[in-house]
Amino acid sequence: MIYGAGVDVGSTQTKAVIVDGARAIVARVLIPTGANVSRAGERAFVEACGQAGLAREAVGAVIGTGYGRYKVTFGDTQITEITCHARGAHAVFPATRTVIDMGGQDTKAIKVAPDGSVVDFSMNDKCAAGTGRFLSAAADVTGVGLDEIGARALAARAPVRLTSVCTVFVESDIMSYLAQRKSVEDILGGVHKAIATRTMSLVRRVGVEPEITFTGGVSRNVGMVRALEEVLGAPLNVSADGHYMGALGAALFALERAQAAAPAPAAAAGG
Amino acid sequence: MPPQVTERAYQGRVHERSRALMSAWMDEVRRSEAEGQPTAALMISGNCVELLRACHVLPMFPEVTALQNAIRHKSLPLILKAEQAGYSSDNCAYVKADIGMFLDGGMGPGAPIPFPTLTVCNYVGCNVYVKWFEHLADVSGSRLFMLDVPFARTETPAEADVRYVVGQLRELITLCESVTGHRFDIDELRVILADAARAQEGYARCKHLTKHHPAPFDAYFDSINMMGPINVLRGTPEAARFFDEAVAEFESLAAQGLGPLSEERFRTVIEGPPPYPYYKSFRNLMSRWGAVAVQSTYSTVGGIWEFGFRHDPRRPLESIAEQMLYENLTNRSIVARYAQIRRYVEEWQADALIIHSIKSCRLFSAGQGDMREYFTRELGVPTLLVESDLEDPRYYAEAQIKNRIDAFFEALEHRKLVRDTAGRPA
Amino acid sequence: MTAEPILDACRALIAEPPGAVARAWKAAHPGGRAVAVYPVWAPAELIHAAGMLPLGLFGGGTSVELTHADARFQSFVCSIAKSSLELGFQGRLDGVDGLVFSNICDVARNLGSIYRRNFPGVFVEYLHLPQNSTSPGVIPYLAAELRRLADGFARVLGLPVGEAALAKSIETYDELRARLRALYALRIAEPQAVATTELYAVLRSATVAPPEESIARLDALLAALPRRGGRPRDRVRVVVEGAFCEQPPLGLLEVLEDAGCYVVEDDLVLGWRWFTGEVEAGGDPFERLARAYVDRAVPSSTRHEGRRHRADGLIEKVRRSRADAVIFLPAKFCEPALFDYVLMKQGLDRAGIPHLLVEFEEKMWTFERTRNEIETFVESMLFE
Repeated sequence: MIYGAGVDVGSTQTKAVIVDGARAIVARVLIPTGANVSRAGERAFVEACGQAGLAREAVGAVIGTGYGRYKVTFGDTQITEITCHARGAHAVFPATRTVIDMGGQDTKAIKVAPDGSVVDFSMNDKCAAGTGRFLSAAADVTGVGLDEIGARALAARAPVRLTSVCTVFVESDIMSYLAQRKSVEDILGGVHKAIATRTMSLVRRVGVEPEITFTGGVSRNVGMVRALEEVLGAPLNVSADGHYMGALGAALFALERAQAAAPAPAAAAGG
Repeated sequence: MPPQVTERAYQGRVHERSRALMSAWMDEVRRSEAEGQPTAALMISGNCVELLRACHVLPMFPEVTALQNAIRHKSLPLILKAEQAGYSSDNCAYVKADIGMFLDGGMGPGAPIPFPTLTVCNYVGCNVYVKWFEHLADVSGSRLFMLDVPFARTETPAEADVRYVVGQLRELITLCESVTGHRFDIDELRVILADAARAQEGYARCKHLTKHHPAPFDAYFDSINMMGPINVLRGTPEAARFFDEAVAEFESLAAQGLGPLSEERFRTVIEGPPPYPYYKSFRNLMSRWGAVAVQSTYSTVGGIWEFGFRHDPRRPLESIAEQMLYENLTNRSIVARYAQIRRYVEEWQADALIIHSIKSCRLFSAGQGDMREYFTRELGVPTLLVESDLEDPRYYAEAQIKNRIDAFFEALEHRKLVRDTAGRPA
Repeated sequence: MTAEPILDACRALIAEPPGAVARAWKAAHPGGRAVAVYPVWAPAELIHAAGMLPLGLFGGGTSVELTHADARFQSFVCSIAKSSLELGFQGRLDGVDGLVFSNICDVARNLGSIYRRNFPGVFVEYLHLPQNSTSPGVIPYLAAELRRLADGFARVLGLPVGEAALAKSIETYDELRARLRALYALRIAEPQAVATTELYAVLRSATVAPPEESIARLDALLAALPRRGGRPRDRVRVVVEGAFCEQPPLGLLEVLEDAGCYVVEDDLVLGWRWFTGEVEAGGDPFERLARAYVDRAVPSSTRHEGRRHRADGLIEKVRRSRADAVIFLPAKFCEPALFDYVLMKQGLDRAGIPHLLVEFEEKMWTFERTRNEIETFVESMLFE
């Protein structure tokens, strides 16, 4: 059996995924990246091997992705997480033509070809506005846990309008609304709406084409899913593995690489 | 993963010669105060450098000093000085670097760069030019002359526009006469324009040589070497000779099938000024993918010479006016630039468009999202947009830019692979 | 009649997007056309002389979410450019037959081109207004440029501009401007008689209604306001400088005055109050209008005036309005304002006039930060 592994080293979290020859996920690991980026990549990979019950030599190829991809020194090569997210989203939802990836650090819109390759992409990576960081800041100020803010936002009745999506100012804007006795639900509703609106502009740059798949850590936020669906006027594909799309895509690339390198009989068996 | 592409060891005569010529000019500027040579500050875009030379006024270019400071990693302290004096983080960093240089003691009586005698604001599209030169005249006490060039907004130059510009050119001549005490001779201008036309012809021929596969030089990163002579030294016999040499050098490379890289895998058109503080780094990010620019828009800010326009010594002032009105990038609309880029993509057979969007320059950058939309959606040209700045090093986030460039070329490599595989016999 | 109903009428007028205003007017004037002008100055007289309705286009204010325009323009571009484009994408300018842009800044120029490309059914024209104030060729050039615009109206919209009609329209707009000047003079003399938010509603309503109606409204208002009586409170008198294009939200103007100021002079909606006096009478009206643009212009950040230092005009405003200080209120990312700030600030420092810099965006709903800054500034002045 041939295996491929993908290691996605982000600025806050590192994910590792191993897939088998049938392209099924046999391991998935998520750990904080911490200060030592190469060690995080190594640790995640080792843990994933452990989870799958594999010796590391059994993994045919490893591909590093994410901002820290060049620190995955034990990897065979590096591929950007844009290409990997497209691949991963397409593997889980084969009719994906647009990917919206919202992580802690940046937001991406990716236009995907029928074969899962990237046609076009647009990123918001210079500014925290409209990214997961904005949500974190809002969570801090309202005192609501990050895993709860989505649900609370869903309960909003009259979402507030935010002055700007600047993370630097979100604190004072929210405090202003709290002082005006606005409910936490309405405030969080407004926060999600503002991010969704901002994300729309990003998506428009690559064109909105169904099916649209939502990936990244923030895809687990039910409030964000709803806010985006409202602004898009279309349903979103969301996977429980939303966090792992980049690592999954990288693992699939790794699998192909391993299969291509394997001697013929083994490749046929691996299918 | 990028294939192994290396840079061909190549810093030909063009680079050396350009450096020497520009160095000699800067020395002239530095000596001007001591030698009593009147100078005029001028902007690069659509400039009338020939006229100033005919008036025996030495041109100096604050933009050139600014970009040189950026390349030498000296721009940030100057920008900070200007910001302390009240300039905003949202003001063009070129201006801040220039005024910062003055505040830092780098410009003025006895300083490395003297104050200009005249400040000639050739307002050719860029509104920031107007503010910049108002400020420069304010700090230097030099006489400000506004050369208001109407924007290219009709199919062909309107008579009223040409008349207005020619009128101001005549006023400029009168002003120069009063400053230099030298009587203007139109025949001297004709000779200068004839030399200018030779340089323009040479530059245009060089730019057409990049239609070769592979292109003999990078039309973005290597064009910088030619922009000095074409914009600053145009009209001098030295510049005319320089371009004759450049044509010879590039023709020779083209004949040998040589280009700046060991392998030309992708041909690009690059739009926008370069990130001067990270020039080499930006170049490397593309070179590692085997990407060579075969055309660029930035190389045409001073004049668009590749489509045939030349100064005409028989109609000296009128052709100078026409050049300033219509034959340079900055006085033409952003949408006119789409047409220019489209020609480049088609005639120079480029695979992709790369838009380098810079914060300082809204003339270039404001609305490049619409440009991207046009090229990707309507023309199907793969287009990448990256952002930084031309002068302020703080806006260059290498990891993010690398990420975008890598993702873009990964997709292009994939497309190439699919095409090549499809092309193989069954 | 009291001022209230007139002010209410003004507020109602400015709540409508330009498209709705245009459609309503055209329904009442079959065969009519409406042309909207982007800031700062545009020859509304020309539009009026062609029998059309001139409208001011000031972006979407707080009323429009950017879901299209943000994909075309970057984040470091002012909001008014983006929201104006967004209004087009959202159909809120449907009914407007023409748009006029000019060279106030690099963003506006690019916006004009991009608008034209995306809305080919609209007559979009771009004026190059002169940035030379002294050449003998300036006025003939501008007169020709104005004729070119008029020719465009005739050719594309089928509505020519005759010289007699233009002369009449100039008179009409002169009358409108005279009333606006009178309103401003009233605020200088008796700031307690008219709040800046009220003055603003009137000013803005004059950009979305036929001038004849605005003149009548202003006459009634100028009669009613002095009857309010009262005495000025102990507040700092300020000149507001920088809000000549993108407009601050009413809430911000309110906060300014609540925080302890009387705004006694400003450059709000400056383009519609561009001339310092009446346009010279007699002769070619295109030429007279051009001459007024160059020689009878208020100081501004969008026209180069070579005959005096940029700060001089501001200092004169301060003296004339007996102001104590200047609040620079540029829109975020506004290049002309941010550049001029440096020269004006230096001039104010030399003249010993206190000043404060506060940036704003048209899309603002909370003003705590701004209030704090203004209050601190006011306190520092009162306790001097």
